[in-house]
Amino acid sequence: MSDMVTLAHGAGGRQTSELIDRVFKANFENPLLTADDAAVLDAPAGKLAMTTDGFIVSPAFFPGGNIGKLSICGTVNDLACMGAKPLYLSCAFVIEEGYPMDKLEEIAEAMAATAKKAGVRIVSGDTKVAGKGQADGVFITTTGVGAILPGVSTSGAFARPGDAVIVTGDVGRHGCTVLLARDEFGIEADVTSDCAPLWDSVQALLNETTDVHVIRDATRGGVGTVLYEIAGQSKVGVRLDAASVPVAPGVRGVCGMLGLEPLYLACEGRLVVVAPKDKADAIVAALRTVEESAGAAIIGEITADHPGRVVMTTEIGAETILPQPGGELLPRIC
Amino acid sequence: MCVGLSAKVVKVSNGTAIVDASGARRTVSADLIRDLVPGDYVMVHAGCAIAKITDDDDKESDDVMESMFL
Amino acid sequence: MSEEAKRKAIDIISHYDGRPLRIMEVCGTHTHEIFRLGIRRILSPKIKLISGPGCPVCVTPVGFIDEAIFLALEKHATITTFGDLVRVPGTKKSLAAARAEGARVQIVYSPLDALEYAKEHPEEEVVFLSVGFETTVPVCCLAVKKAAGEGITNFSLLVANKTMPMAYAALKGSADIFLYPGHVNAITGTSVCEDLVKEGVSGVVAGFTAKELVTALAVAVTNAEKGEPFFVNAYPRVVKPEGSPEGMAIMEEMMEPCDTEWRGLGVIPMSGLKLRDEYAAFDARRKFNVSGIEGHANPGCRCGQILKGELTPPECPLFKKVCNPLHPVGACMVSGEGACSAWYQYGES
Repeated sequence: MSDMVTLAHGAGGRQTSELIDRVFKANFENPLLTADDAAVLDAPAGKLAMTTDGFIVSPAFFPGGNIGKLSICGTVNDLACMGAKPLYLSCAFVIEEGYPMDKLEEIAEAMAATAKKAGVRIVSGDTKVAGKGQADGVFITTTGVGAILPGVSTSGAFARPGDAVIVTGDVGRHGCTVLLARDEFGIEADVTSDCAPLWDSVQALLNETTDVHVIRDATRGGVGTVLYEIAGQSKVGVRLDAASVPVAPGVRGVCGMLGLEPLYLACEGRLVVVAPKDKADAIVAALRTVEESAGAAIIGEITADHPGRVVMTTEIGAETILPQPGGELLPRIC
Repeated sequence: MCVGLSAKVVKVSNGTAIVDASGARRTVSADLIRDLVPGDYVMVHAGCAIAKITDDDDKESDDVMESMFL
Repeated sequence: MSEEAKRKAIDIISHYDGRPLRIMEVCGTHTHEIFRLGIRRILSPKIKLISGPGCPVCVTPVGFIDEAIFLALEKHATITTFGDLVRVPGTKKSLAAARAEGARVQIVYSPLDALEYAKEHPEEEVVFLSVGFETTVPVCCLAVKKAAGEGITNFSLLVANKTMPMAYAALKGSADIFLYPGHVNAITGTSVCEDLVKEGVSGVVAGFTAKELVTALAVAVTNAEKGEPFFVNAYPRVVKPEGSPEGMAIMEEMMEPCDTEWRGLGVIPMSGLKLRDEYAAFDARRKFNVSGIEGHANPGCRCGQILKGELTPPECPLFKKVCNPLHPVGACMVSGEGACSAWYQYGES
């Protein structure tokens, strides 16, 4: 087979099957993935959760992962946030003509490994090839279905005054990693993406208690954006303790150089959990038993005052508003 | 007007220095500071070391406070 | 000891009960940090903080953005710039809008990176938007000096650099005490401030950490109570009395003073800089014959009075109504250091 993807690979003929067999089937192999037009699946009892997400990341390979790993994590994490055990995934690829075959294989291998870790099966897929310049490398869209655990009901609208706000690890690593991988600012740091499937963390937390109000994964816009979403949806305030927000030293250094706020850098393996305060310590302890959430910490609380806003207690003991994010993140220099 | 960052010098070579600020490293211009050696601390602005500083701590503020109330 | 000194400083500035004081934080980074730390919220009501004109993005006039857009769209130059300038509105549009129309706009961390970009792209004409005060001028000069030394001909500066001494004179009556911009003084030294004391203008050089800022404010307040004009360098770890002789030397060697417009403040004589004739080949205005571009700001925008401390952002008729960080009308709303942006984001009322 050729060493790069050509338009013929997307034409539906023999070369298409070759690509599918060698790259996708070889990695995604499971009894539910067949050559038929649609996957035939057993429906679990109870409620289903379903979600879809498109992935574009430049560069497609970065320390700690690649677009393939990301495309599985993003969707299974969205399911996990609803208390749903990820069951099935579909994936659709748009590949730019001329894309190296070995890179595509590497992406598929990462997807297979991540899906295995997340306990989810890839049951259907699609491949299209776009002409040179009509796409940038590889775009992946994944759709996921999961079974919601009995007794679990979470929503961004369920936060209540008095709840504790928990984050499952240090913030902003993925955004910082990708920013550095683009090499636009000549900065180096030992930072790897936090990209990870989080069902194990959610399961550990739900095994501890189902009395959880909000679980949300902080992706684009980071933890700060998620907190604003929760404050808005639940019509409550959020009070953060700035000093207790975990930030990796390298991320802090990069943010210092470029004038960025770690709370607004993307994560791909971090959850924000809102739960009653008396359960918070037990939840943190349960989360810490899982590798992906070993850095879990309580970072603040939900308040009745200043609904819709996120305030922070700063290092001089004053309370300020965390500015709302907006527009593209521009390094602030002057 | 001028975001500055205190950083530690790790390497110096003809007019440039590699500095480290809590794990973030970058090459900056050292043209404005003579006799920079690894281990020095500098204030960095827009890719240029603008001043040699004692260290990256702000404890000299304590002395400022203290001297005021002597 | 350390925490104790900080607590003492906080105590002084929150319980001050002397005559009302107006303190102008000249530097935009101070404005930003003061809001971020919530210092205004713990300050005694007797102390009024005024956000001064020390944000290079905020004081850059509309016409400068128009010039940059002209270079990008008409002369097909690649614009390299600090991030904050990209969204500043010109007369008709911002650089961000021009980029959407096909202009090449590259955000850089340093003017030296802009020069590197020029070296890597010899087929492009690369213009760096040289804004900033004494802190930033030396590194802009270094970029030109290196370009000249290495025979790089596709690199030039569109200069709008400014210097502080004449601005202090223009702002003299606006505040009782200046909180001087520490990183400017790191280059210029403190003689300017010493001279101002002789004219009765008090000030304190301030650093940028929480402790440094509250300390500088405590020093300002404590000295003000004594009644005599004073000057204190409360940022000695970075600012030496003589400043940076190397920084001053390269600035002197390559740039000369000129009259310049400050957005909102008008033209302040000899408060700007331009490249000396020897470096005319690196002056984008001369290289591309840019002349006669005059910017026109939105007439409703009160950035000028806000920069002088005459109005607070909520007193501007556009504030929050048509002007917000996503759709800024004036530069003070664009920059993270701008007074309007800070008031908007941190919800001061």
